[in-house]
Amino acid sequence: MTESRRTDGEFETEALRHLPEVARFARSLAGNDADADDLVQDTFLTAYRQWHQYERGTACRAWLFTICRNRYYRVRERAQRQVATDDPVLESLAAAELHRSAQEGGLSDAFERSEVREAVQRAMAALPEVYREVAVLVDLHDQTYETVATILQVPVGTVRSRLFRARRLLQGSLLAFAVDAGLRPRGATPSTRGLAS
Amino acid sequence: MMEMLDCDAVMRQMWDFLDGELPLERMRALEAHIAMCERCSGHAKFERSFKAALRTAREDGADSTALGARVLAALRREGFTDPRGA
Repeated sequence: MTESRRTDGEFETEALRHLPEVARFARSLAGNDADADDLVQDTFLTAYRQWHQYERGTACRAWLFTICRNRYYRVRERAQRQVATDDPVLESLAAAELHRSAQEGGLSDAFERSEVREAVQRAMAALPEVYREVAVLVDLHDQTYETVATILQVPVGTVRSRLFRARRLLQGSLLAFAVDAGLRPRGATPSTRGLAS
Repeated sequence: MMEMLDCDAVMRQMWDFLDGELPLERMRALEAHIAMCERCSGHAKFERSFKAALRTAREDGADSTALGARVLAALRREGFTDPRGA
């Protein structure tokens, strides 16, 4: 077997098998199937050209996510760019406050309701990009904070602050949806405090 | 001896705890507090249900067969040799 065939075999075994996950990640970035498919193709072509730079045995999926994200922002000529300066401790405490508001509004079980779960994708899509990409990587792709920090090329603290902010925005959006959908028990005192960002 | 935490400390670290991002000792301390604290266990339950709701946004069923064929075709144009000989 030639060296190039061996390398191609490794590429298929280690990289191409992650195509479905990269496709999901690309879709969450691009927002539509056509752009996402272009992005996936671009990602794997770039990965193939840079395969000699990939350190064997390391997290190939995270490496592909990094390429995918970099290509996305390069193609879109986006600056690197939006700044999030939220405090993760404050975000955590705000989440607790939001839970208290939900309890007061009779919505402590809101996230278990099917109507609210169906609204998750829309709420996720409506998040500002800088927050959405972190939530997608952690909550949809089960990546650790450290891996996400590597993919985004930011400190772990920034991942935490963006993630916690993203979750609070999502919770606010979903709880507001629940109120609008009339899921709040009749007669309960409405409380929207903390439900908006 | 296990570290004792108050509710504020638990609330501040709830997301890190639910994501399994704390050192083992701290994970155990939060777990112990949540198990015996009604307020914090209610909050933990609320946040767990939120994380479970987010997981419904995964698109596990997406068919990537056609996309895979397209990517393979593009790679072959770059010189990639499919080891399966396809």
